[in-house]
Amino acid sequence: MRKKMPYHTKRKIYGFLFITPWLLGFLLFFAVPFIQSCLYGFQDLTTSVDGMVGEWVGLKNFSYALFRDTEFLVQCVGSLRDLVQVPLILVYSVCFALLLKKDYPGRTLMRAIAFLPVIIGSGVLMDIMKTDVFSSSVNGAETTYLFSSSGLTGFFQSMGLPVGMIGFINEVISKIFDLTWRSGVQILLFLAGLHNIPSYVYEAADIEGANALEQFFKITLPMLTPMILLNVVYSVIDIFADFGNAIIQMIYNTAFTNVRFGYSSALSILYFLMVAAVLIILYLVMKRFIVHPEE
Amino acid sequence: MEKVLYKLKDGKWFWTICKYAILILLAYQLLYPVLYMISSSIKDPLDSYDPSVIWIPKHLSSVSFLDAFKSMKYMDALIGSLQIGLGCAVLDVVSCSLAGYGFARYRFPFKNAFFVCVILTLMVPTQTIILPYYLNMRFFDPAGILSLFGKITGKNMAINLVGNNLAFYIPSLLGAGIRSGLYIYIFKQFFEGMSSALEESAYVDGSGPLRTFLYIMLPNAKNAIVTVFLFSFVWHFNDYYLSKQLLGTSRRTLIVALSSLRVDLSALIGGQTTTDPIRIQTRIQAGCLLTILPMFLLYMVAQRKLADSIEHMGIK
Repeated sequence: MRKKMPYHTKRKIYGFLFITPWLLGFLLFFAVPFIQSCLYGFQDLTTSVDGMVGEWVGLKNFSYALFRDTEFLVQCVGSLRDLVQVPLILVYSVCFALLLKKDYPGRTLMRAIAFLPVIIGSGVLMDIMKTDVFSSSVNGAETTYLFSSSGLTGFFQSMGLPVGMIGFINEVISKIFDLTWRSGVQILLFLAGLHNIPSYVYEAADIEGANALEQFFKITLPMLTPMILLNVVYSVIDIFADFGNAIIQMIYNTAFTNVRFGYSSALSILYFLMVAAVLIILYLVMKRFIVHPEE
Repeated sequence: MEKVLYKLKDGKWFWTICKYAILILLAYQLLYPVLYMISSSIKDPLDSYDPSVIWIPKHLSSVSFLDAFKSMKYMDALIGSLQIGLGCAVLDVVSCSLAGYGFARYRFPFKNAFFVCVILTLMVPTQTIILPYYLNMRFFDPAGILSLFGKITGKNMAINLVGNNLAFYIPSLLGAGIRSGLYIYIFKQFFEGMSSALEESAYVDGSGPLRTFLYIMLPNAKNAIVTVFLFSFVWHFNDYYLSKQLLGTSRRTLIVALSSLRVDLSALIGGQTTTDPIRIQTRIQAGCLLTILPMFLLYMVAQRKLADSIEHMGIK
């Protein structure tokens, strides 16, 4: 009675079965909420016992956000300005990954420390660290300021550096601080990318007499381009979806404090469109520079 | 060590020193917050006013820990966090390894379109869909099946999952948890990097696809499993936004408790210390330390495996 299925059809069905759980989850917990969120943006919503009751208001929510809301667009520009961090994060994490790649005494320990931000760099902790640990303004005293308390300033002073310069160094270092705590995953991905470059390429370059700098710019960097793209996308999303981001808080407060669900949805859709536009532009610009090693 | 000595002879000692100086600086600034947490949470409040105390306190005190412990309701919050973190990590490994294997080894219609969808889930911030997502959980009713029953029985059958761990478990089981797309991506890359010879010999020996996956592929994917488990645990543990929404008001995870610690502390200690930022601050640092402690312990155990798996993940 059982007719034998052709091998390829069978493979197709098995492949489909393997991704079925994900597909269900995607439809239930992503596609449906996403479409609903879009629809909510066109409605005025009120809660009732049985769920949401909506009233269609057309584009009112969107036009209000774009033309009448004094805060939304200002905050959008503000979070676009945060994107300045992306290139800094990339440079920092490439350098760090390079430092972690080659073997030397103490590398294991260094690697463990480098991944620390992945483990403990959550939004809430970052927020607390920013207000308490990294700021100089708490209670006016210098006890909490980054390096004054730890003796590095004293070290610089004893070396005879001028006060202005020490202040500058402190400023730079505290900026670096913020950066490093955003770069955990990026370092990890770059490290994976670096280990994926076959060693024979470098061996050949050595034989040809390329120096370390040439090897970096002509081999390492081009081979890392797919990873750079991935990291750019990751960093941009990370910054835009950050806990401390003003728009994220605004969307949240609009929905759950001011109970304006429809308007909150409209804001989040507009925000998503902005993020998507930034990502698409970045992708189109970067696409030309991506190197595909196999081809 | 020999390498270093060799370099010293080679005249590269200057660069070696530079490199270690940079490494020490980087390590210092990464460890700084942790050291700061430890230092300020174990010191007696008296020491905060003593300018000669910088890192190592003169008087030890557990008062910060005890206060943070109490006002965070630490044990309850920890149990909540661990339930969500560990449960979701296990479920994510199950669902994402299946999907990753499907994407890596099989060809089926719309495969590329589906994979674009995997990436899309990563690109849309949770905040964009949080509202319907929340309502989805508040009135859980997959594909209207329950309301169909509801029409027959005349009752509203939708289940309230808010405040229930299932609100996290079900999405994770279906590969739609926090950053599940990334885990699918990791598994896909890993399985693509594995040789197909093992599978073929299993097929020749008459093993079916699921059996091959369970007994041949998964045992060889330890590195990817550890990576995904750790990521999923950490991100569910650290999650604030979804946890705050989906757990409702009755239950809190550690991160949610930590986020309101400043407010809770003032209520606990009473009026006299609210004017004293340092006392609040040392207690908050103690709270931070208590929060990262479980993750830190897990990380110490899994660190080497994680580092190994990163180096052999073969992301392209």
